[in-house]
Amino acid sequence: MPVLSRAEGPDLALDDLRVIDLSQGIAGPYCAKLLADCGAEVIKVEPPQGDYARTLGPFPDDVPHHDKGGLFIHLNGNKKSVTLDIETESGRTVLRKLLAKADALVESQAPGHLASLGLGYDDLKQEFPDLVYCSITPFGQTGPYSGYRGNSLTCMALSGLMYVTGDPDKEPLCTGGEPAEYFAGLNAFVGVLAAVEHRASNGGGQQIDVSMLEALGAADEYNTAMYASLGAIRKRFYSRHHIPAYPSEIFPCKDGHIVVIGGAGGFPLGMAILLEQPELESNPLFTNFWMRTLQWQQFEAVLRPYLLEHDWRDLLTRAQELRMPFGPVMSPGLLLEDEHMKERRFFQEVEQPEVGRTRVAGAPFRMSETPLRQGVAPILGEHTHDALLELGYDAEEARILRERGVT
Amino acid sequence: MSDLPLAGVRVLDLAQVYAGPTCTRILSDLGAEVIKVEGLHRMDITRNFVIYENKTQDDYWNRSHYFLFRNAGKKSLTLDFQEPRSIELLKRLVPEADVLVDSFTPRVMAQHGLDYESLRTIKPDLIVISLSGYGQNGPWRDYSAYGMGLEPASGISSFTGYRGGEPLRTGISFTDPYSGIMGAGAVLAALHYRRRTGKGQYIDLSEQEAAIPVGGYALMDYTLNGREPERIGNRSPWFAPQGCYPCRGEDDWLVLTVRDDAEWQAFCDAVGQPKWAQDERFADVLGRHRHHDELDELIASWTREQGHMEAMHLLQAAGVTAAAVLNPKEVLLDPHLRERGYFEMVEHAGGVRPVPKQLGARFSAFDTDVRGTAPKLGEHNREVLQGMLGLSDEELNELQEAKVIGETPELAVPLQLMQMMVQWPLTSLLQMGALGGLEPDFKQQLGLEQKAGE
Repeated sequence: MPVLSRAEGPDLALDDLRVIDLSQGIAGPYCAKLLADCGAEVIKVEPPQGDYARTLGPFPDDVPHHDKGGLFIHLNGNKKSVTLDIETESGRTVLRKLLAKADALVESQAPGHLASLGLGYDDLKQEFPDLVYCSITPFGQTGPYSGYRGNSLTCMALSGLMYVTGDPDKEPLCTGGEPAEYFAGLNAFVGVLAAVEHRASNGGGQQIDVSMLEALGAADEYNTAMYASLGAIRKRFYSRHHIPAYPSEIFPCKDGHIVVIGGAGGFPLGMAILLEQPELESNPLFTNFWMRTLQWQQFEAVLRPYLLEHDWRDLLTRAQELRMPFGPVMSPGLLLEDEHMKERRFFQEVEQPEVGRTRVAGAPFRMSETPLRQGVAPILGEHTHDALLELGYDAEEARILRERGVT
Repeated sequence: MSDLPLAGVRVLDLAQVYAGPTCTRILSDLGAEVIKVEGLHRMDITRNFVIYENKTQDDYWNRSHYFLFRNAGKKSLTLDFQEPRSIELLKRLVPEADVLVDSFTPRVMAQHGLDYESLRTIKPDLIVISLSGYGQNGPWRDYSAYGMGLEPASGISSFTGYRGGEPLRTGISFTDPYSGIMGAGAVLAALHYRRRTGKGQYIDLSEQEAAIPVGGYALMDYTLNGREPERIGNRSPWFAPQGCYPCRGEDDWLVLTVRDDAEWQAFCDAVGQPKWAQDERFADVLGRHRHHDELDELIASWTREQGHMEAMHLLQAAGVTAAAVLNPKEVLLDPHLRERGYFEMVEHAGGVRPVPKQLGARFSAFDTDVRGTAPKLGEHNREVLQGMLGLSDEELNELQEAKVIGETPELAVPLQLMQMMVQWPLTSLLQMGALGGLEPDFKQQLGLEQKAGE
């Protein structure tokens, strides 16, 4: 199958779009993967040594290999890999030929870096007036921190989310798994699609400036509102972030953990039934919401011993039967072996080159007419040669470009 | 500036609380007309949270800052799903809509004849998206779900927590904004397909599933190596030192990441401790991983003498990744976010309130400013029911008298009790430790202007 081709098979939502993914790491590749899963043809343009995410692991048996990194596989399914050193003029020439066939470009270089190579949006918009040019950076293209270095941790810190996460007597805590990167990629996905819709109705491409900090910051549930409307500075307080919904806390139980949430019908009756102590229905800790919230140690003295004697699945099932929205505390292993996930067929098995059969996360949403597709991540430079031929280079030229380190 | 990308798109928004409203707030910011449908017996519960200045008399449900965050720019229509005429009116609105968003468990929509198969017979090219906790099939499909339970359900809490400690949750309902933004992307993809083919479709979004990919590293470690994640606090699997360190001010903190030898050298120079760079324990990447505890103590001995903002600027000037941990007040006052116009000042219920940009993307060809304030309950009943369906004044009055539509919620508990729950005991929460401060002069601190007469 040619490299520069539309996807085959059933209709896909975005199968008329071609995207050049110049980004590395997590946020940009995640954005481009969401586009690819929805059917866009995504050409991942990597430096000859590869996207640095190829070095981040986890690797099978902890043996590093640039085609076996778990995180890379997770973020680059359904893409094609073309290696190109865009720091060279020869590399940039090839990139321009690719851009001439593209609808969108996703990049994650520090602000100004691509402009220094003659590849900034202002450099390209004359030549490619319909191109959607999406830049993802820690703090955005403008503003006093735009030149600062950032990662998910710095975005957790500056967004205020870290101050409200963790225990009150300990240091603020960062959510695991680099969440700011994923939030940024998700916002970029929405941004690219919005710009494509705008192009359809108004004509013309444009530049999109995604700030990882703002993408995460916009997830603020109500912490800044509490200050701006009440003058109250909310502080981290265990897992109990939702003031009007105590307990909604993660508690240990006999075989793991469970999230205890009363919901509309939990107190006083539902919880008393669940705990098999009907007399609790008249206990003020069960009838008086604020007393329960403020004298939480007393309430937990009632709750915790019962939970420690029961399994989480039992607690979850019985609570749900009582219309209390308890939640499970899942780990990767629990998720991958879970019956609900299996019936949903969320995790999919793919034949990943160099790795073999492996299970990966599936579609983040299901579309009835245009199902998302599941694919493998490309090995480094897998599609370089064919792409060059399709761009009009001959085999000899392709050899020279490779041997001179351009591809 | 040209037309917004979703100009001309109309959304019927049956969703409540957080995830669905985030999705439709984005669609609204992008130009769609969003009609939010609430029941008088079942208004959006977030109208009860963060009432301005904690004043719960009168129509407090129109003065919620929490509600404003996610519903700015929308219209409010009240219809009561327990009432057959409401369902009838809703079905008459469907042909006028392009997108319908719901956040019920699967049985609710079907129970009212509002499942996708029924809706598509009314409007064949309709796009319907259901944002539910666990999706439309599978053993947990009918489980009710709050955002507070879904972050742990998606696996994220299993690798969030202090080293050796219990799983913890982010200080927000993480999966709600996450799946809301994902939902907006799904709707945009479906609109793109509809424009090309004329076909609508149904989107099943499980909020649990949507956020699972955030655990990519941990998931792949399980599938490749059978390993479950450890909780590592603020450390990194790749870089050392990384952490959160105490600064001079009370509850002021600094985070930093040192990625390589050059950055370690730069850090030591910047903090005036070149001898740390010569300490052979910390000379290379492996040494810094191995001696992370000792490094943490050294770094903290420096940060304790520093202001958190000054330390960030100093280290960033030296090329070290560092940031102050801002509390919510400091976020509101941050010069970077201010210069970028991250908070929009929106007039609501007699005052001006900061509202964060919902979308973390800025566009050169159009603005994504909020398109208006949040609606009062039932504010657009007349506009929608008369303007779109042509109901007469008599019909409206009749619906009003039957409390199918209205502007005052039918509360499940007496108003007095409700007001007690809606008014937060701030002083007690401060004493308990859930607040880091209580500042009666917050309006002056933020420079919030009051409208004349307030």
